[in-house]
Amino acid sequence: MKLAVFVSDFKLATDTLDRLKAEKLGIILVQNGVYHATTKENGKASSLLDKTPNLYALSDDVQIRGMKDADVDKRVKVVKYGDVVDLIFNDFDKIAWL
Amino acid sequence: MGDVKLAFIVQKPQYKGETSRLAITHAISYQTVEILLEDGDTVTPKLCFIGEGVLGLQKGQNAMDLYGITSTESHMKNTLLVDLDVLVCKEDLAKYGIPEDAMPSAEDMGADKSIQVVPYSEIQKAMEEAKHVLFF
Amino acid sequence: MGKLTIGCYPGLVGNMGYDFALKLADAAATKGHKVSIWFSGNATGSVKANQKHLKDYSTGEKHIKALLEKGVEICTCEACTVARGIKKDEGIPGVQWNAMHWYLAKIHAADRVLLIGGE
Repeated sequence: MKLAVFVSDFKLATDTLDRLKAEKLGIILVQNGVYHATTKENGKASSLLDKTPNLYALSDDVQIRGMKDADVDKRVKVVKYGDVVDLIFNDFDKIAWL
Repeated sequence: MGDVKLAFIVQKPQYKGETSRLAITHAISYQTVEILLEDGDTVTPKLCFIGEGVLGLQKGQNAMDLYGITSTESHMKNTLLVDLDVLVCKEDLAKYGIPEDAMPSAEDMGADKSIQVVPYSEIQKAMEEAKHVLFF
Repeated sequence: MGKLTIGCYPGLVGNMGYDFALKLADAAATKGHKVSIWFSGNATGSVKANQKHLKDYSTGEKHIKALLEKGVEICTCEACTVARGIKKDEGIPGVQWNAMHWYLAKIHAADRVLLIGGE
């Protein structure tokens, strides 16, 4: 399955995400989930960013938190709501919110 | 369109929040969805509990006396009475030291189904076979 | 164009998962997709009319009305709503009230389904 997972928290219980298997896994960082893309802990980037190459962060949620799109890890594509709609219809067949 | 398979994945514990209860009651409503669909169309959920979602399923709950609300145990029995497939992750029960025989049963109420304690791989399979996955 | 069904459980004010749901619905409707939103749990509190929009607080009513104008279907779980003391005649006009099987029926027809669970 092609599964897009919305991650909305920073302190994620990664159990569920670690267990999900998909032929294509996308992670869309929204709300506090964007901190995975913008914030290092003790100098280290979030391990969530190693889980898949298909990483996205919602621009509105980056900017509302006082950060800029340029603060986002280079592995993560910054997207707007319209792009999220396109992703979920065109790139993935199932979507989940964690 | 026929039957649409769904996987309801409950990963939050019961009682503090209502999400887990809502997963159960929404799954049970598959019984009556036909009134809103074309003839022959159905929805078939599989209700799956993983992670912390397995914490509050044990029998022996007393929510009605203590808080005046229906217990999760009672809701789980109802799922079995309406012939829902209910899967509980074996590895997560073991992780939290919950014995498999702590799961409620509705056999004495005439249920044909019982809670299935299964490896996580079966729950993954349920997600792959479903048209949509809903995480609670 | 496709059909998107969104289930929204988090409450208005206090959890911006609600705000996300409405904004995603708006973006999808703007692109021409058919959108249905189901409110259950704490989200049902948002269907009460005559909300006061204060700048410190998320607003539901204004956005719900705009979405209805765009053809988005919105339905609230009747049981969850009345449990919170809201009567049908107090609801935002245009928002449907139904039982949980409404959500399952919309899921049956949908191409994509997103459930945003509550707290």
